[in-house]
Amino acid sequence: MTTPEGIPHLTEAERQGAADGTLASARRRAVDAHLSACDACDADVARLRGVIARARASEPPPAPLDALWPDIRARIERQKVVPLVPAVTPNGVGRSRVARVVRIGAGLVAAGLVAALGMSVVARREGRVVVSPAPVAAAPGAGDARLASNPADSSRLYEQEVQTLLDELRLRRALLRPDVAARMDHDVRVIDAAIAELQDALREDPNNPALRQLLAASYRQKRDLLRRVDDAS
Amino acid sequence: MRREIASGIALLLGTAAGAQPSPQAPVLYRRAVEPTAGFKVYNPAGTVRVVGWDRDSIVVRGRVGRGERFYAGSSARGGKLGIEDRAEGVDSRPSDLVIYVPRRSQLSVKTVSADVAGVDVSGWFYSVSGTIHLSGAATSIDAESMSGNVSLDVSAPWVHARTGDGHLLLRGAPQDADVSTIAGTLDVATPSLLRGRFASVRGDIHYVGAPPPNAIFEFSNHSGSVDCLLPREAAGVFDLSTVRGDIENGFTAVRPALQPGRGRTLRLDLGRAGGHVSVRTFTGTIRVRGP
Repeated sequence: MTTPEGIPHLTEAERQGAADGTLASARRRAVDAHLSACDACDADVARLRGVIARARASEPPPAPLDALWPDIRARIERQKVVPLVPAVTPNGVGRSRVARVVRIGAGLVAAGLVAALGMSVVARREGRVVVSPAPVAAAPGAGDARLASNPADSSRLYEQEVQTLLDELRLRRALLRPDVAARMDHDVRVIDAAIAELQDALREDPNNPALRQLLAASYRQKRDLLRRVDDAS
Repeated sequence: MRREIASGIALLLGTAAGAQPSPQAPVLYRRAVEPTAGFKVYNPAGTVRVVGWDRDSIVVRGRVGRGERFYAGSSARGGKLGIEDRAEGVDSRPSDLVIYVPRRSQLSVKTVSADVAGVDVSGWFYSVSGTIHLSGAATSIDAESMSGNVSLDVSAPWVHARTGDGHLLLRGAPQDADVSTIAGTLDVATPSLLRGRFASVRGDIHYVGAPPPNAIFEFSNHSGSVDCLLPREAAGVFDLSTVRGDIENGFTAVRPALQPGRGRTLRLDLGRAGGHVSVRTFTGTIRVRGP
């Protein structure tokens, strides 16, 4: 975008900076010079200044944090239901020790539950095949990489996930846009034809690892397609 | 980065003012946000262009189709914006949005037929039939289209892309990539990839480059071909197998072995420090060629 004289208009960042006054002084001089010569940029910056002014006018006045804190602290204290000072039991054993044992036990149970939940979430995302917790930093799709090492199992598990997705989509098919439903039907036919060919070949040669890997790949394609359709609805 | 103090406000001429909407009403939205804010963007038809910049603010400019309504609601940590969906069965008129966001923000962009273009942005990009073109630097890219073209020219640790009939092009400098089509052509031309999974059902797959040392690539195709165009200095091990297709080796003199009932296999050990590439097809032809 250039002016009628062939000079480039200000960039979006320059216009925003000119409007809110955040431009560095050296750059501001050049921008000001451009604004004085370019009506289009000048009008746009004026419009931005208007937007900023209206936004500031509609903002509630900022309250200093120090002034807010005593009130917040008082509300927190009022809502406390557990006494923080430990009591001592008649037999001389501090209740705090009992409570600590209970807390440790509860913590272990909670950790177990979190770990189990983590495994089930990962397993659901990756086709219910993960039997050990995935590394925290694993990239999405890492579970699929593990599947490649066991194509026979992965075909079956992908197939189960595909069936679940198909069942869900059947219920929501009426909500799909007609063009999406038609596209889904077309692509499912393409993949199903490939799966049928591979299954026929596997009947003749059931122990062919290449066929099993190709079948797993086709089921994976179908699962990904159904997820895409799910995202479209 | 400078932090603006202005809060967001949308200025929508025409539809917002209740006046007779012009064919395309201009929209302007601006808000100060955190550098890692997250945004959900929706535009059914038209175009969405997203630009990552070095300012802690989101700015939306563009034009809203006649009769369409722009919405925007966000806090400093992120929010939602876009064009409201029309009643069922009514196609939306095209709206064109240009959105500037902090480079480190995470996006979720969804369209029906609108084309999506992004520069220096990260997140999830989805279109039913529109094209998706992303370039620049990103923390992660997840791009999916039911039938549109997907073109990625990005530097990112992780890339995931899918399309049906569309053409999928992967370039730039991603490290891990998982990309596939159903019937569309899949082109891969990137020298930096360390882990790659490339798949199609009946679209042709073309790979141009040399797997770097320790790279692991897996190509899988049902009836489409897999073409590997290698430079003269390519290294590594290539395990090729097809059940009912052909293997054409134009890179070395080694001929594929025919296993009765199991198709053809060819192992190319190009020595030196290189990656490992496995290629599998059912009926598709596998070609390995030199320059």
